[in-house]
Amino acid sequence: PVRADDMTVTIVAGHPPVFRWVKHASQTFIPAVNAALEGTGHSITWSEQYGGSLAKVGEELEAVEEGLAEIGLVSSLFDPAKLAPQNVTYFTPFVISDSTVVSEWMDKLQSSNADMKAAWEANGLEYLGGAIGIDDYLLMTNFPVNSIADLEGRKIGAPGPAVNWLKGTGAVGVSGNLTTYYNEIKTGVYDGVIVFASAALPGKLHEVAPYITKVGFGAQYAGGFAANKDWFDGLDPAVQQALRDAAAADRVAYHADLDASVAKFLGIMTSQGATVTEVDDAFRQQWASGMDNVARVWADKLDASGVNGSAVLKDYMDTMRAAGATPVRNWDQE
Amino acid sequence: MTPFEIGLTSFGVMILMVYMGFWVPFALMLSSFGGVWLIKGSPILAGKLLALAASKTISSYFFGVVPLFVLMGYIVSVSGMGRDAFDVANHLFRRLKGGLGIGTVGANAIFAAITGISIASAAVFTRIAVPEMMRHGYSARFSVGVVAGSSVLGMLIPPSLLLILYGLLTEQSVGDLFIAGVLPGLTLAFLFGGGIWLTAHLNPGALGSAQDADDIPPLTGRELAQKGLPLGLLIGLVLGGLYAGFFTPIEAGAVGCLGAILIGLARRSLSLRDFWEVLNDTGLVTASICFLIIAAQMYSRMLALSGVPAEFGSFVATADIGYWGVILAYVALVIVMGTILDSSSIMLILVPLMLPVLATMQVDLIWFGIVTIIAVEIGLLTPPFGISVFVIKSALDDPEITLGDIFRGAAPFALLMLVLLGLVLAFPQLATALI
Amino acid sequence: MAHSQDTGPAPALPGWFLLLQQGVDGITVALNVAGTILIFLVMLLVNFDVIGRNFFASPISGVPEMVSMSIVAIVFLQIAQAFRKGRLTRTEAVLGFVEKRAPRLRLVMDIIFALGSALLIWQLYAASQPLFVKAWVRGTFEGTVGDFTAPVWPVKLIILIGCIALLVQLVMFAASAALRLVAGQGARP
Ligand code: NA
Ligand code: NA
Repeated sequence: PVRADDMTVTIVAGHPPVFRWVKHASQTFIPAVNAALEGTGHSITWSEQYGGSLAKVGEELEAVEEGLAEIGLVSSLFDPAKLAPQNVTYFTPFVISDSTVVSEWMDKLQSSNADMKAAWEANGLEYLGGAIGIDDYLLMTNFPVNSIADLEGRKIGAPGPAVNWLKGTGAVGVSGNLTTYYNEIKTGVYDGVIVFASAALPGKLHEVAPYITKVGFGAQYAGGFAANKDWFDGLDPAVQQALRDAAAADRVAYHADLDASVAKFLGIMTSQGATVTEVDDAFRQQWASGMDNVARVWADKLDASGVNGSAVLKDYMDTMRAAGATPVRNWDQE
Repeated sequence: MTPFEIGLTSFGVMILMVYMGFWVPFALMLSSFGGVWLIKGSPILAGKLLALAASKTISSYFFGVVPLFVLMGYIVSVSGMGRDAFDVANHLFRRLKGGLGIGTVGANAIFAAITGISIASAAVFTRIAVPEMMRHGYSARFSVGVVAGSSVLGMLIPPSLLLILYGLLTEQSVGDLFIAGVLPGLTLAFLFGGGIWLTAHLNPGALGSAQDADDIPPLTGRELAQKGLPLGLLIGLVLGGLYAGFFTPIEAGAVGCLGAILIGLARRSLSLRDFWEVLNDTGLVTASICFLIIAAQMYSRMLALSGVPAEFGSFVATADIGYWGVILAYVALVIVMGTILDSSSIMLILVPLMLPVLATMQVDLIWFGIVTIIAVEIGLLTPPFGISVFVIKSALDDPEITLGDIFRGAAPFALLMLVLLGLVLAFPQLATALI
Repeated sequence: MAHSQDTGPAPALPGWFLLLQQGVDGITVALNVAGTILIFLVMLLVNFDVIGRNFFASPISGVPEMVSMSIVAIVFLQIAQAFRKGRLTRTEAVLGFVEKRAPRLRLVMDIIFALGSALLIWQLYAASQPLFVKAWVRGTFEGTVGDFTAPVWPVKLIILIGCIALLVQLVMFAASAALRLVAGQGARP
């Protein structure tokens, strides 16, 4: 291994530090690495490049792969082609709403599932951990939702993969972007959006879409820390371990923070006039069974391209069921 | 050399190359290539930075519709709608000295409610307004100056791409920011209009030999309707559709474009040949501007790697100079960075650095956002890297009007923006009153 | 002329060069036309999406992805022509001054600038080429499985084509200045 007394490490994230996972990279991950390296003879000078100063959202993977940064918060959500198996959660809604559980197990799957592991390696990356979990997605609308029939013909903005969740409901799914949701609901381009609470409050979406429906779409995995593999392989094992441990600590701290905020944010939105409704099992069942099996479509497409999508799907669903989840629909068993 | 010194040196080299007459995008690319090579010690890595920026910088829906806004303006111009609208404006403002200049500012304020980006305003009005103002005797320098100056309204009056970016960076409501931009935007339009009016009275020579409106026969009511209606219809279509929720500000460019084509065809004033020509021209303007933006992004990534902006930013953020010291130093830093960097890069680099400091000082982040946008937008008009000026130069395609002319013409408007900045700093209500 | 590369080569340039320039320009214009048509298609696409969403409750999937890929293609299809037409920004102050005092020095500056830029664009090409290969080999796509997907390799290929076209125009620009320098002429009339 290369003997590195002090090295400069560039860490990159496309999102700005107001996003919780970026904040924790700076406030949890980096200090944890520094603390672990104390007394080892190694130290790191960090060059923190967030918010698109070096790479835009969805560009982090290439920046790390090409070596412009050593470590990145790589968002698999925005790299659905290169990190296809990692996006399994977005094709399996209605499985589990606890983001802490999803993240813990997704982190483990990154090394235990052969296809997930291979996806990182194919892009020249070493996955460090520190899963970015996204809290349970909500349906926020400017009209009350009492039954699925209420959605008929309504235009609902949703992030790319979540557009699939709306198929079969009668709603018109429109692929949209968090940054413009507020304006577009306000002017009526959308009648609602699919969004998570920890982003809805800062964006004040409840002002324009005060009907918050907890449909139970579930928590999601959006990515994690990854390092340039060539660089990582040349590191002293002590440094490698410090990076992995710090990523694990980051995941715990981030999700504790996330859970606390979600409860708080829902409370604030309610106190500011929003109505939070939790749908009953029948509603959820009706929604889930009305959907196409997008997980199947997704897995088949991966199978055809040489990645064992069916195995990834089964592995993920088995893992979640073993972890105590009771999926509304067993996507892998149809 | 340390990365910091490399960053500073590359800056000097870049400025030198630009003034020597090296093409601006190549000067930016070359200094970022050299800078990254020295910082990272690898020409291959430097090349990779160029390649990634080339394929990713403009790859977004926001940028994708830039050519459509440009094309809309060109069709308005080539089909005679622009000329007619200016005849109407001239008629309405014929009692006012400098009326056409004021009319251009007003038209830009209206167009700002349609577009979210200043470069679209600049490209559109270069084609519509500059020839008309010069036809009425205004000097070239003043005509392009008005267009450059009032293009900044595009980002201040909602919708605004920069305000969306700021909202994302600071977790502020984009809706609130949009409302906060309205009064400062209108104030700026009034400052511009008033400035032109005063100049026309006190120093008319500065505007050129603008014809006295008395020379122009007044329009009849019928002529007014005939000339004003088509453009009024188009504006109504776009604004109406936008605020009725039929389409988004991003999509407005495409809808407006199709609307302009249909109106042009209905008036029989848009021939296939004209259409092809402006379509082609749109492509050239789009390519040169987007290429410049890609190059600017490469340069700003190199600077980010060198740590120069972060160093200056944290100096301002941590200096023990009190509330106003920090705010004024920040504004000054933004304006200085505006001479060489593009608007969004400055915000991406500086705003996150300032946030922790602002939190300790209880700064109203909505107000701070408006201050930031105005300061950042001054950079659109300042040499050597002033993107509005570059857009005008590229859209104009007239060798007689040099970049220097446009920068000089825009300078008084940059000064008026400083005045607005002072007003918003002194009277935060300008930004916060409507929220 | 400082502003435009399109004033046409001076008549004194050798015939073979003019012929070569004509051929190169033909290809440049063809790319330019492709980009121009793409702009028109993007306009139609966005309008169909708006109409489909509002009147038929069926938006077109993948419009943001298609538009964001198209703009990159448009820029790289047109960049060579934009250069040829003198649309790339440069300041004329020093150049104009030099041209008046020492027209031959002006030619030397143009040659240096164009060759420097050509080298730079070569770097861009060389670094972009592996990105195309990866996109091709791995079948990288934009969009979402089950909704809309489009391969990204065509855009990466257009970036390469655009770089080559720009590179060739830069070299032609330098060559034409060099030929004029050798022939003892000043900058173009
Ligand atoms: Na605007
Ligand atoms: Na500037």
